[in-house]
Amino acid sequence: MRLGFYAKLAVNGIRKNARLYVPYLLTCAGMVMMFYIVSYLQDTPVLAGIKGGEEMQAMLSMGSGVMGVFGAIFLLYTNSFLIRRRKREFGLYNMLGMGKGNIARVLFWEALLVLAGTMVIGLAVGVAVSKLAELLLVNIMHGNVTFTFTVSPRAMLLTAAVFCVIHVLLLIKALLQIRTASAVNLLRSESAGEKPPRANWVLAILGLILLAVAYYLAVTIKQPLSAMVMFFVAVILVILATYLLFIAGSVAICRMLQKNRRYYYKARHFVSVSSMAYRMKRNGAGLASICILSIMVLVTVSSTTGLYFGSEDSLRSRYPRDITLIAKAEDVSMLSDEKRDAARELVDAYVAEHDATAHNFRDFRVVSVTGAMKDGAITTDPQEAGRHITDSTIYQVNFLPLPDYNRICGTNETLADDEALISLKRGDYGWDSISVDSKVAYRTRKAPVVFQESGMAAVDVVDTIYVVVKDLQGLQPLLQGDNLFSQQWEYGFDSSLSDEEQSQIAFDMHEAVAEQLHQMGMYAVYFESMAANRYDFYGTYGGFFFLGILLSIVFLFAAVLIIYYKQISEGYEDQKRFEIMQKVGMTRKNIRKSINSQLLTVFFLPLVGAGIHLAFAFPMIRRMLILFNLTNTRLLVETTGFTFLAFALIYTLVYRKTSNAYYAIVSGEGERREA
Amino acid sequence: MSILEVQGLKKVYTTRFGGNRVEALRNVNFSVEEGEYVAIMGESGSGKTTLLNILAAIDRPTAGSVKIDGKEISSIPESHMAEFRRDNLGFVFQEFNLLDTFTLEDNIFLPLVLAGKSYGEMNGRLSPIARQLGITQLLKKYPYEVSGGQKQRAAVARALITDPRLVLADEPTGALDSRATDELLRLFSQINAAGQTILMVTHSVKAASHAGRVLFIKDGEVFHQIYRGDADDEALYQKITATLTMLQSGGDAQ
Repeated sequence: MRLGFYAKLAVNGIRKNARLYVPYLLTCAGMVMMFYIVSYLQDTPVLAGIKGGEEMQAMLSMGSGVMGVFGAIFLLYTNSFLIRRRKREFGLYNMLGMGKGNIARVLFWEALLVLAGTMVIGLAVGVAVSKLAELLLVNIMHGNVTFTFTVSPRAMLLTAAVFCVIHVLLLIKALLQIRTASAVNLLRSESAGEKPPRANWVLAILGLILLAVAYYLAVTIKQPLSAMVMFFVAVILVILATYLLFIAGSVAICRMLQKNRRYYYKARHFVSVSSMAYRMKRNGAGLASICILSIMVLVTVSSTTGLYFGSEDSLRSRYPRDITLIAKAEDVSMLSDEKRDAARELVDAYVAEHDATAHNFRDFRVVSVTGAMKDGAITTDPQEAGRHITDSTIYQVNFLPLPDYNRICGTNETLADDEALISLKRGDYGWDSISVDSKVAYRTRKAPVVFQESGMAAVDVVDTIYVVVKDLQGLQPLLQGDNLFSQQWEYGFDSSLSDEEQSQIAFDMHEAVAEQLHQMGMYAVYFESMAANRYDFYGTYGGFFFLGILLSIVFLFAAVLIIYYKQISEGYEDQKRFEIMQKVGMTRKNIRKSINSQLLTVFFLPLVGAGIHLAFAFPMIRRMLILFNLTNTRLLVETTGFTFLAFALIYTLVYRKTSNAYYAIVSGEGERREA
Repeated sequence: MSILEVQGLKKVYTTRFGGNRVEALRNVNFSVEEGEYVAIMGESGSGKTTLLNILAAIDRPTAGSVKIDGKEISSIPESHMAEFRRDNLGFVFQEFNLLDTFTLEDNIFLPLVLAGKSYGEMNGRLSPIARQLGITQLLKKYPYEVSGGQKQRAAVARALITDPRLVLADEPTGALDSRATDELLRLFSQINAAGQTILMVTHSVKAASHAGRVLFIKDGEVFHQIYRGDADDEALYQKITATLTMLQSGGDAQ
């Protein structure tokens, strides 16, 4: 029965350390559950059957990868915490004559039990919850709900395999730690004398500088595309800075306070400040991790909810009308009123024939080009523009004919041949003339009404400037020979047909009129229907939203567990100190107060840090989301604010719960004495 | 008036579920006069630590009274207890009980900081004590950087800096090697000679042989006491050993 003996020791070990193991087991099971659900959703036929489902499943497979890697790292971290706590027990076994080999057996049994237990529970709950997750997802994607219940064997096997590998890694790591330590080391490992924290000013200041640079980047980047690139730079800088500041900066501040005798030698500060220095030295990295996890949760949730709830808005800004015809013209002369009217008649006839009851027309012609602008002069030659990239701004320049502008904006402007109106979505133009390639030039004034950007322009990565001119034919000098200008006609209208009919008619209409339009000198003719794209929108944005929520649940798990273990380990360490302080004349109340303020500082520092990071990240997130058509800043502010509040609430609850565990440990010593 | 007066002290422990009742102290009576150096001896489990905890007001007696400077300590409300302890008692523990987050200096300052003293005053009080205890050079060091004997001297300094009425020492030499023990006991005698009242709990004959009076506790009662009289440490040592032997055989006889 020797095997039984080790198994029993393992069971006892887990049971006796329930305070440490229960959260760990819950986390393991939770990770198994999440992983199974994500893998299951990749397989489920229900999802594959709805529109946008394929985009969704591609995104989910990415999500399960992220989750697996994160799970491994996270479990390694928490497991090392457990092993550190239990080294003493193993040291004792070792002293009592148990070889390292025997300890390894105990560890093996423990790993096996933990794996088996959490796998069974995790999979069981996962299977039960998977249908719920599926319903939620289908709902998010505006698909049709089905109530068949399926289990995915592939997802189960995958989950089992991934977590077996993770647990083997955990076991190997634990064995390596036990192997390299001697019995005495094991016994002492918890109470090894700790060097006093020294302030590392270089690192602290470096952290400040990095943070300042990251914040500066976040706030100053103006263009969405560069925001995308700089975002990653900023993220890395912020992560580095957070670690540096939490580890070195906090100790430096404590040290600075200690130097100030008037401040330091006060009953209120004396104990708190000196213990804080130690606490921060020990916990700096952990707190920084919590801070990073928190900001990850916050950014993920706020941006994905913003995207999802802004879907309808985004859809409208991307597709200003239900159905839009976009056609390019080979020559600007083909955009003359007569030709345009002829083309329009074709479309109108088709619409009338099919009872599409078109209304709310939006019809305009535009000549556009991308160029570098400096002091009111635009260069369209890419090489020439490239040379001035540093001191000029890239714009998409759209020339509109005055009649189209007047009609759409409901104005009654008049222009001379050398005059133009400038319409910018935001900001002022700043010059009183505009010239393009030194070939055409206009005196400019501000357009009375901002021209509503449409379609592609709304998602363009560069800002668009609208130049309203009297007549597009005046641009002829620019359009001679090889050039990068494009001439385009956009004709959109709303329809009272249903979504399905709209997407159908957009498709049919293309078949019917494209050929004739080609003959009229137009090319690249296509019809966009908002209805047809709605599902893709919801598939993609709903996918982001769903994954965002799943991932943030996992991140939250991680943050909560780290907080919990911090509290527990603090508790064990403070137990002794608590007693000493009482013996040298501190009242229980004082001690509790001092500890309370320390705990509050330690645990809310990451939250405050995350809040500040979020505030600075906001402008950048907003700009990036413009790439995803989300232009509704108010909505984003609301979702971000709401996310932060919800997160702060959860965080506080966790703090409350875990600090109870802490106080139980700290006062546990007192209880035992009374007993 | 005696500095410490203990009368009819009794302490009964009940286990958590009320099953077993253990009588740690049955009926303890003794008093300590100003300037005395008293050692309390007894085997493990004889109730020494319980007695000391009650004297330190960390634990409450089941019955009986403890007066420090004529003041009944059970009458002091919990809220003033820490303050009372800080002002009247100095503690030296077997395990030193220095906070590892403080330098020795800050450890010694701790009770004064709690009492709201200014840095100047604390520093003024510290230097003569530090000189006497030979730790002036070590004040900026952390506990983990110094030896056991040095830690204990710092702990003694912490006990003395509040100028307490009574120093309570719980097995102060228990964790020290013999050289450090000798050194500490010499310091205790010196401090006592300067007028400090000391009450020491120990089971080390050597430690007890430095005291002016030795009380023996057995089965929760003061069983016997011997005065130093004119005897030197060596002679007192012999006397204590003889008493302990007698106690043991007497115990067997019971």
